[in-house]
Amino acid sequence: MIEELETISQDSEYDLYFGPAHPGSGNFGVKLKVDGEIVTSARADPGYLHRGFEKLMEYRTPIQNAVLSDRLCVLEPLNWNLIHAEAVDELMGIEIPDRAKYIRVIMAELSRIQSHIIWYGVFSKGTGFDTGFKMAFGYRDFILDLFELITGGRVYPAGYICPGGVRRDFPKNTKDKILKVLDKMNKMIKLWEMENPALNARAKDIGVLKINDAIRLGATGPVLRGSGMKTDVRKEEPYEIYDKLDFEVPFREEGDAYARYWIGIEEMKQSIKIVKQALNDLPNGEFIESSCKKPKLNVKIPEGEVYVRNEVSRGEAAIYMVSDGNTKPYRVKVRGPDFLHMIPVLEFLLKGVQIADVPAVYWSLNICPADMDR
Amino acid sequence: MVKRSEKAKTMRKLIKAIWIFNWFNSCGFAELVPLVGSRWDMERFGMIIVGTPRHADVLFIAGYQTHKSIERAKRIYEQMAEPKVIIALGSCTMTGGMYWDSYNTIKKLDDYLPVTMYIPGCPPRPEAVFEACEKIFGHVKELE
Amino acid sequence: MANKENELIDELKNKFKLEPKIQRERRIWVSFDSNNILKIFKWIREYGFTHLSSISVTDWLEKGIYELTYHLWSYEHNMIITFKTKISRDKPIIESVTSIWGESAQIHERELHELFGVKFKDNPDLTPLFLENWEGPAPFRKDFNWRKYVTEEFYSDDNEREKIYYD
Repeated sequence: MIEELETISQDSEYDLYFGPAHPGSGNFGVKLKVDGEIVTSARADPGYLHRGFEKLMEYRTPIQNAVLSDRLCVLEPLNWNLIHAEAVDELMGIEIPDRAKYIRVIMAELSRIQSHIIWYGVFSKGTGFDTGFKMAFGYRDFILDLFELITGGRVYPAGYICPGGVRRDFPKNTKDKILKVLDKMNKMIKLWEMENPALNARAKDIGVLKINDAIRLGATGPVLRGSGMKTDVRKEEPYEIYDKLDFEVPFREEGDAYARYWIGIEEMKQSIKIVKQALNDLPNGEFIESSCKKPKLNVKIPEGEVYVRNEVSRGEAAIYMVSDGNTKPYRVKVRGPDFLHMIPVLEFLLKGVQIADVPAVYWSLNICPADMDR
Repeated sequence: MVKRSEKAKTMRKLIKAIWIFNWFNSCGFAELVPLVGSRWDMERFGMIIVGTPRHADVLFIAGYQTHKSIERAKRIYEQMAEPKVIIALGSCTMTGGMYWDSYNTIKKLDDYLPVTMYIPGCPPRPEAVFEACEKIFGHVKELE
Repeated sequence: MANKENELIDELKNKFKLEPKIQRERRIWVSFDSNNILKIFKWIREYGFTHLSSISVTDWLEKGIYELTYHLWSYEHNMIITFKTKISRDKPIIESVTSIWGESAQIHERELHELFGVKFKDNPDLTPLFLENWEGPAPFRKDFNWRKYVTEEFYSDDNEREKIYYD
């Protein structure tokens, strides 16, 4: 005869910490309250990487800040280099030569492709598809070799996009090498487009974000495009030469994790198209404005304030810079897309999902903890 | 015959292939994860990544640490079983690096945890990480 | 389109007696009094500015004020309008805009409360975000010199190699 065990309490809620030392969570922790298998509430735990970037930039001149700005988000350094250089250019009133604009766009789009490859890799790992992870990091190395050829560093380009243009010109035969790498990227995307039934089951109808909630919570970029809004800063406020290029903005209506993942792959195709067009039309000429060629110390920034917006791989980024006439900026405010995606959007989406679906929702938002903490 | 200490004997017996627990901060993520990929394959040297510190021999601390994350790193170090080794990557662990004037980062890792080996660079290349692991094997052989 | 910017400027002048300025295409800057904050923002949100891009604080030490800036973007009109206001530096208190823009405003105000010490009334949650057990002053204020703090706390005076020798 088996006796029934007595129940000690009716409450079955407990705390689960999906923390920073978990190999599937990056440098960011989420405190979950779980009832059985369903998550009832989530609270984000940021701050493991906080360095105080905005005040560090007040102690350095713009040339020194150009080197510091690649470390704002480790996974896409050239895009943040570009937005900082644009802010200083507008504040100081510098006109950039055309060849420099084309080179800047080529480097930024290559960096976007590389960042989406990382997104695909960690999303596959989170949903259990380990082959995708190894393949993604294997293919990413082709682009890192290109960066090493042009800028000198695999991961950090040491301020290659600086106020006034770019630091040095393309070496010989760069155009052929870039085209070869883009062919390899096309092959890789064809492999990834084959439908994977396990991924469909784990990502469809999970983590649905409707459009009204998305705008209220501050989502931008692929997360907002996945919920049905066709928006892109490169089309609404074109900067550099984006108004002369021909590309599309992919978007979907459903708002689930599969829609966001599909948008990432389509954006890679559009980036390849942009790089090919820019390489075709690359004009000859100077690569940096002549007064910035030999950097002078103690150049005063004129008084004023600017607000610059760009589209980095994760969403909308913005810099607000104030100067009061000295050699160093007075206040720099950095607005990153991940600050909004990782705290309000994540806490909203994790309510009511099962524990096994938490990685799929988490990695489909394409997070970068360094960008959130600054 | 030179008498080797008990600790040296256990280390020579047990460290033949390294199992690593990665505790990387952001800069380490961009440069250590490619080591797992197929180009700089680290499994051919016997190194794999494990998911819990209780199975690991080596703790990789890659990148700068803040006050909040150094406490978690200490707790992870205490949970590892002997023999254990710490490898610190990057110049931020040596002198403070690029963020030397930030109020929230740790300047010298040596004040908080016993480090066996430093790998300089910002960030260091994958070949440097392999050379460091080779030196760990050599160091274990010569231990007194 | 200079037309859209001029229309908006005329409405702001007539309704609230403000003086907006055009900096360049798609950028308008306007100053306002912090007492009218909720009235003006309710109206501007219904006009079409549904996206709050960011909120920031600038610390003017000599003048003794904090200057708050609100940057708003409209998906319909494709432009940014920036609202600026001044509050006192010793007792910084202002109303929160969480009731108008929701959680995206709430998280920006929580960060500014921790880093600058600004108190936002009616914000549901102002607990510390990035720092744990921090007992010093608000970190981003201009009278907290980081280089002096770091050399005293972390670097030792006897070591010749740890002295600062440049500006």
